[in-house]
Amino acid sequence: MSRVHGRAHCSIAPPDMLGRLAVDGTPKQREAAVRALATSAAIRSQRAVMGRLNRQLNLNIGQMVGFAVTPQRRLTIYDNKTNGRTFLPGVRARDWGQPPVEDAAVNQAYDGSSATYEFYRDVYKRNSLDGVGLELVSSVHYGVGFDNAFWDGSQMVYGDGSGRIFQIGGLTRSLDVIAHELTHGITELTAGLVYSKQSGALNESFSDVFGSLVKQYSLKQSAAEADWMIGEGILVPALGAALRSMMNPGTAYSGDRQPGHMDDYVDLPDNNDPRNDNGGVHINSGIPNHAFALAATALGGKSWEKAGKIWYKVLTTRLRPNSQFDEAAQATVDVAGSLFSSTEQDIVHNAWKEVGVRT
Amino acid sequence: MKLTIRRGGGLAGMVTQTELDAQTLPKPAAQDFAGAVARAHLASQPAVQPTAPPARNWPDALLYDISLEETGPPVSVRYTDETLPENVRKLVAWVDGRPERVESIEP
Ligand SMILES: [Zn+2]
Repeated sequence: MSRVHGRAHCSIAPPDMLGRLAVDGTPKQREAAVRALATSAAIRSQRAVMGRLNRQLNLNIGQMVGFAVTPQRRLTIYDNKTNGRTFLPGVRARDWGQPPVEDAAVNQAYDGSSATYEFYRDVYKRNSLDGVGLELVSSVHYGVGFDNAFWDGSQMVYGDGSGRIFQIGGLTRSLDVIAHELTHGITELTAGLVYSKQSGALNESFSDVFGSLVKQYSLKQSAAEADWMIGEGILVPALGAALRSMMNPGTAYSGDRQPGHMDDYVDLPDNNDPRNDNGGVHINSGIPNHAFALAATALGGKSWEKAGKIWYKVLTTRLRPNSQFDEAAQATVDVAGSLFSSTEQDIVHNAWKEVGVRT
Repeated sequence: MKLTIRRGGGLAGMVTQTELDAQTLPKPAAQDFAGAVARAHLASQPAVQPTAPPARNWPDALLYDISLEETGPPVSVRYTDETLPENVRKLVAWVDGRPERVESIEP
């Protein structure tokens, strides 16, 4: 009920009706409704309507796949600053193919989304989040001094940072943060890992894994050269160097509670208490993060070529919404064997063993 | 009147607490504070939150626990970035803008 609170003012009836047809109608009605949605002259931005439909009808992009209109744009950046500050997506600030604008946050979100798109296309032959070219939408300047970035089920959202936790402008400056958020979209459309306890920690870990890989790929780093940090240099210096360390979980900033081994797993309830982090999803992700960093380093070379390929295949084809650590670990061992050989399989097995997860 | 905003989860998974006591405010600001609190309708929310997890369409959304102490027993409500009502968001932004607020990061 509260999900549309304060957003109802932007409701426009015809697209909503079309949206319902697009969801609940017969295949023919769906097709017609989607075509009408896409071509209506009254709709300045199909994406805005799609995003709003997602919220009003409680849809996510997974439910929209299959009748999404083939986008003409690879990505678009919106500015929230000039339009109510929390009204998504906001005002279009830079379209696909347009030159840089004056606003650094807009250009950073553009370049980071573009680099992430190219990584998934060139390395894993994946055309955007859904595999069929879904437009990547980002909104910057969300809220006022907002200390967060998130994925809202259909787009990325970035705050400016308050200068007390995140540096002002820090959230869009970090390529691994952008790739982290976009990977939440891929997870939603593939494994669908439930954002709670172990499945949620896996969801978080896959975002960190591919966040780090996009950064390593852009820097052409080998596993040995990588810093294995997420969000380096975006917190205020007094708090610490980064948000997370995949190689040394629990050491990224003062107060970092991440374990790197199952012996130190933090068993928290999932009860909406901010202290419990959906059952420790950003805490226990340290364990699978550590396993990935160990496996990638032991496999050697560029992390996206072997370790990343294994984890990508597991994420997109082997997991289910309630998968736990042991199931994900076993899947990576199996896939290491099917993609490569028993040598790689043993390395992956040993990486999980080192963090206390049995395969 | 004292308002305590605890935030957790989010991209960083960090827990922060922001407190504002009306007694520390100059009179006009205290009146604005009371008005912003009244418009947020915190007291009309259920005092005890259900423990069932909400629909999770927004990974990395912040979790909020907002606690108001007045004369009676404290009222505590919980939201996420996804469910935060506009008037509560405005109240949070107002408190974040006051120099009298006391902030801490929890271990
Ligand atoms: Zn995340």
